[in-house]
Amino acid sequence: MGILAKRKRKRGMGEIPMSSTSDVAFLLLIFFIVMPMKQDEVGISLLLPAKKTEQTTVRVRQSNVATIRVHRDHHLTLDGVTIALSAIRDAIRERWEANEQTVVILETHPDADYGWMIACLDEVKLSGARKFTLKTTKI
Amino acid sequence: MAFQRTTKKETYIPTSSMGDIAFLLLVFFMVTVVFTEETGLVVKLPRAEAGEEGIRELISNIYINDAGKISIDDMIVRPEDVAAVMSQKVASNPFLIVAFKTDKYTPYGIVSDVMEGLKEANAVKVFFNTDMELPGVAF
Repeated sequence: MGILAKRKRKRGMGEIPMSSTSDVAFLLLIFFIVMPMKQDEVGISLLLPAKKTEQTTVRVRQSNVATIRVHRDHHLTLDGVTIALSAIRDAIRERWEANEQTVVILETHPDADYGWMIACLDEVKLSGARKFTLKTTKI
Repeated sequence: MAFQRTTKKETYIPTSSMGDIAFLLLVFFMVTVVFTEETGLVVKLPRAEAGEEGIRELISNIYINDAGKISIDDMIVRPEDVAAVMSQKVASNPFLIVAFKTDKYTPYGIVSDVMEGLKEANAVKVFFNTDMELPGVAF
C-alpha cells in the first residue's frame, strides 16, 4: 500500500469583487440628486402686516386704492364693478402704470374658496403691482 | 524611396478616478439632502403662474385641508392655538417662513384665522404653496 502524500492545498486569498462599486455609487448618487427635486417648494410669497398698532397703521388715499373682492359665490369685482379673473391682470397693470402709489387690496369672503383668492393674488402678482395686501370681508 | 509609416498612438480618456468622483459627489448629496419628515394632510393645491421657489430650510408647513383641519408638525391644532405654536417656532428661528399647504376648496375664513394667529406670533413671512399652472386649465 502506497503512502499517500498529503498534498498541500494552496489557499487563495479571499477577495471582495470591487468592480461594481462605482456603479453602486452612481446609482446612489442619482437617487440623492433626484429625491430632493421632487419636493420643490413653489408658491407665492407675501409679507403679512404686523399686528395693528398706531405705529404700523398706514393711511392711504382712497384714490390710490384698488379693491378686488372675491364674493361668497366667487363672483369677482374691482372697485365694485364685476370683472373676469382673466381681466384682472391688465386692469391692475393699467392702474399701476397710471399711478405707482396704487395699493391693491384683495378682499375675500370667509366662505369663498381659498383657490379663488390665490387665483386673484396670482393675477395681481403677474400684473407687476408692488403694493398689495389681503383682507377678509367682515360678515 | 519608401515612406516610413508613423505609428499612431491610441487616445483614451482615463476613467480610473470615476469611482472616486462618484463617491465624492455621493457624500456631498447625502450630506446636503433634506427629507421631509412630516406627512401633513392630503391637500389639492391651487395652481398659479407667478409661483417662485421657496427656501426649504427656513420653511415651516401649515396644512389645511378642505374640511378645515389644521396640521402643524403632524399635530392637529385649532385656529386659536396657532399663535402659541408658531411663536415658539419664531423664537427658535426668527427668519422662519410659514408655508400654507392649503386645499383649494378650503373656506378662506379658516386661512384668514390662521393668518391672524401668525400675526400675533410675529411670523409675518408667508408662502402660499401652489402647483405650476398648466395652459388652459383653470385654478
